[in-house]
Parts: sequence; C-alpha cells; structure tokens
Amino acid sequence: MIMPVRCFTCGKVLASLFEEYKKRVYINGEEPKKVLDDLGIKRYCCRRTIISHPVFIKGNEIKELIDEAAQYE
Amino acid sequence: MAIENVTIYDNTSALFDEIIAHRLGLIPLPTRLDLLNFRDECVCKGKGCPNCTVHYTLSKEGECIVYSGDLRPEDPMWAVVDKNIPIVKLLKNQRLILEAEAELGIGKEHAKWQVVCGIGYKYYPIIEIDEEKCNLCNECVRVCPKNVLEIKRKKLVVKNIEDCSLCRSCAEVCKRGAIKVRGDETRIIMQYETDGSLSAKEALKEALKILYKKYDELENVLGLK
Ligand SMILES: [Zn+2]
Ligand SMILES: [Zn+2]
Repeated sequence: MIMPVRCFTCGKVLASLFEEYKKRVYINGEEPKKVLDDLGIKRYCCRRTIISHPVFIKGNEIKELIDEAAQYE
Repeated sequence: MAIENVTIYDNTSALFDEIIAHRLGLIPLPTRLDLLNFRDECVCKGKGCPNCTVHYTLSKEGECIVYSGDLRPEDPMWAVVDKNIPIVKLLKNQRLILEAEAELGIGKEHAKWQVVCGIGYKYYPIIEIDEEKCNLCNECVRVCPKNVLEIKRKKLVVKNIEDCSLCRSCAEVCKRGAIKVRGDETRIIMQYETDGSLSAKEALKEALKILYKKYDELENVLGLK
C-alpha cells in the first residue's frame, strides 16, 4: 500500500529513504545494489523490505498502491 | 519517546484511522529523559500532564503527501527528528486532522520505544600466522569473505583485523595449518545504531545505568549489601 515506516525485522526507519530509492532505481534505472549501499542500508532485513515493496508503472509514472487506492475514502 | 494516543477529528484519506495511528506511533521522536517522567511514575498518576506528555497536532488538506514533519509540536524542541517519513497521501479535498500525545516507554512494552536497532557483537578476533609453515599459496587470501588477509612483501599479513567475522575459512583451507583463528575472550566488539530518538552515546549510557540498577537490586535481594 504505502512504504512501511520501519523495517519489519530490525526497526530501522526506511520510509524516508524509499522516495530516493524509487527515483533512482525505477526512474533513473540504477542498480538496486548500488543505491541501497549509497543509502546506508546494510542489513539484509532492511534491503528485503525495500526491494520487495511493490510499485507499478502507469503511463510514465511510478506509483505505489496508495496512489490507486487514494480515490476510495 | 513515541506517540501513544491519537485523537482523529477528520480522516477522509484512503487509509483507516488505525493504520494512520500505527504509522504515527513508529515515528522516532526526540527523547529527553532529563525533562520527562514515565507516565506511570509521574505526579499526575498516569492522567497525563506537561511533566510526562508532549502534544502534537496535524492538519493537512490535499492534494499532498503528509510527512512526519507536518506534525506540529507544542514546543519546537520536540520537533520530529526525521521529517521525511510519509504518513499518507491525500487527493484533492481529502483531509487529515488529528491530535497526538507522545510519552516515554520501554521496548519491552512496544518496539516503537526501542531506541537501538541492529545490535550485534563478536569476540575480538585474533589471527595467528605461523610464518615457518606458510608457503604464500594465496588460498587464504582468496577464500576470506571479508578480505582480511593480504600478502605484502612476501609475507602473509592481517590487513584489517576488526573486519574478521571468525568464520575460520582461512584456517580450513590452509593445508599446512599455518593459520589459527580464535576470539579474545576478554574483549568484545559490539555494534548498534539508533533510530535517532537518542544519540548512540546517550543510549549506551542509559542502558548501562539500567544495568547497574538491576545489579544493585540483585545484590540487595541476595543480601550481599
Ligand atoms: Zn532491517
Ligand atoms: Zn504526568
């Protein structure tokens, strides 16, 4: 739906990092490994939480599920 | 400190009130143990007063993303540490108006109050190299997953001892038994990070204080004091 605030396993705050990840990986097409390293996400629990967060492409925009669901109150 | 009670006045976003409250609860807030009491130990007896509770308000109308930085504290010193955590997305004419109460707590009660994450420790590594037996075959250098070893001026040396994870791959691969790896039982390397509500140094100091208190209690119970 929307990026989880923290890593499910260790509790590191990840939601504030996802926007940059989304921009660099899905729009700029950078290697996820490199972006995760740059953002300082070292543990595999946090890396899992970020790479497995679903996004989809609509037109030429990268969207999360919340963008689709937002129209339903 | 973390948000414990949320009063929602208006929420026409796509997320349920409960999900928004949960997301708010996970936001790390600045923790000042010198200024605040635990609510159940406070003079107000758990009712909530300025000595134990900090109030936040949030009021936003779409089209926008509501960030943790939009939480307005009663005093600027309680401003949220990480201002870029998205809470919910609002479309045009959607609104989110709420009030939140934050208080101190401990990780045993709820993980949102746990200051540190990703804690790990290991014995301080000791790598002994027998130069008589070593034939500089380079196998150990190749096999080490942390690149601890290197051959320098025809001699096998340890490059960065603290990176060693004590996996003993180098000792296993060495057919001549020239390498011995063990942990120093008197020293430990401990690693942790905090979520920003306390600095790493403060968190360690507080943890040690609690530990000392517990040992004192134990000594009292055992009658050693
Ligand atoms: Zn994690
Ligand atoms: Zn009080």
